[in-house]
Amino acid sequence: MLLKNTWNEFIKILAKPRSYLGVGALTLLIAIIIFAMKADGKSIISFVTASFEQTLTFNGHILNGYLIAFIILQMLIVHVPLLVALVTGDLIAGEAAMGTIRMLATKPISRTNIVLSKFIAGAAYTLFIILWMGFLAIFVSTAIFGTGDVIVLNSDGLVILPEADVLWRFGAGFCVAFLSLLTVSSLSICLSAFAENSIGPIVATMSIIILFTIIGSLDVTVFDSIKPYLFTTHMASWRSFFEDPVPWSAIRESVIILVVHNVVLVTVAVIRFNKKDITS
Amino acid sequence: MRKIAQLFVLLALPLLTSAQTADNIVSKVLTKLNSVKDYKASATIKANIPMIKILPNEATIYFKQKDKFKVESKGITILPKQGFTDINNFLAKKDYIAVINDTVTTGGVKTYLISVIPNSGGGEMILAKLWIDPERSVIMKSQITTKSNGTVTTTYTYGDQVKYGLPSKMVFEIDIKKFKLPKSVAADINKSSAEKKKKAGNKGTITITLTDYAVNKGLSDSIFK
Repeated sequence: MLLKNTWNEFIKILAKPRSYLGVGALTLLIAIIIFAMKADGKSIISFVTASFEQTLTFNGHILNGYLIAFIILQMLIVHVPLLVALVTGDLIAGEAAMGTIRMLATKPISRTNIVLSKFIAGAAYTLFIILWMGFLAIFVSTAIFGTGDVIVLNSDGLVILPEADVLWRFGAGFCVAFLSLLTVSSLSICLSAFAENSIGPIVATMSIIILFTIIGSLDVTVFDSIKPYLFTTHMASWRSFFEDPVPWSAIRESVIILVVHNVVLVTVAVIRFNKKDITS
Repeated sequence: MRKIAQLFVLLALPLLTSAQTADNIVSKVLTKLNSVKDYKASATIKANIPMIKILPNEATIYFKQKDKFKVESKGITILPKQGFTDINNFLAKKDYIAVINDTVTTGGVKTYLISVIPNSGGGEMILAKLWIDPERSVIMKSQITTKSNGTVTTTYTYGDQVKYGLPSKMVFEIDIKKFKLPKSVAADINKSSAEKKKKAGNKGTITITLTDYAVNKGLSDSIFK
């Protein structure tokens, strides 16, 4: 019954125009980045390497598909959570707003399983978004720009990763990025269980992400104790796979914190939905 | 008045002699370098620069007189901006004053430390210090100071191509004080300011080992396009 209901939930997602809005926006955004890189990529890259190029020269195929894929993946931090929340924030609250929640609750399936099926359907949509992004970022970019070593800029300096050592990093990075977006999905589903219309959970999800991100980026000691437990601190953990050496313990910690967030948020959503008054 | 003039000549004589000798030494080096019309060599490039992490890389280096230079590699390689052809180009112009400063032992070889100062101030180079082995007429060490790129010190080791003045190994020591990361791009929200402020050293080295030289084989200009 859970699987059947999950399938129904997934069909509901597919039937909503907003689901394609996110995919369309993502496609357009990636197309714009690829076009910009094709048109003026070298000057964009030199903006990053300018300080080094006073003393050094970089030789080789710098502007390649893998680098473009990395730049595209960086968008995850800012844009994709909104696209995910746009769909998943509507999953429970949308039913309440349309009045279909009562009919849903009359089905021979527990309320817990209803929430779980919505969570799984939301996870499937998030996975689709990530896979679509991965396809556009890696396959389309490499088809246009070719392959090569990847230059990654972080706060410690430049890391240049050899081409042969890049694909597994993208694979692992996409897995952690999926977990990050799944946390956004769980948060919006959880908030959706408290709301009667879908706008509230979507705006609340984005507000929480913005608030936590600002707290995480503030260099104020009073926040130091809570920063490691904010899920936004770990949303950029996929980037750690592009460090050398890979900080495995930090990634493990991030994965644990994101998984705990997902479990807690879904549990809260289940408890709330079980107690939700759907008769009035 | 005549005595003063004689005294001036007497005092200036060692300097003039020194300058003459320095010119001869530098000319011999230049003659040797100019005997190479073109070359191709395999290179292994190892960069040990505090703010840059890169694995050793293989490359092919092409050079053709006067100043055609190209590095071909499968991956990304880092080379110093100054060092490969700059000395050749600078010395070839013959618009400089060369003065012997000292005799120094470098890498177990007795060398003359010669300061080469450009006559005109329009160029990029401010000063070049060359440690020259007078026996083999090769540069053992160089220190180039430029207007915009700081100082690059290069140590040379020679092998079977010493007759052309071509090194088998070059170690570039570069100044990285000027490296600054663009804040908007390098923003890393997961790292505290204390972590970000971890200071790196001020010097980096790039070691280039050159093998399989093919000298004066007649490289085509199309390689450099």
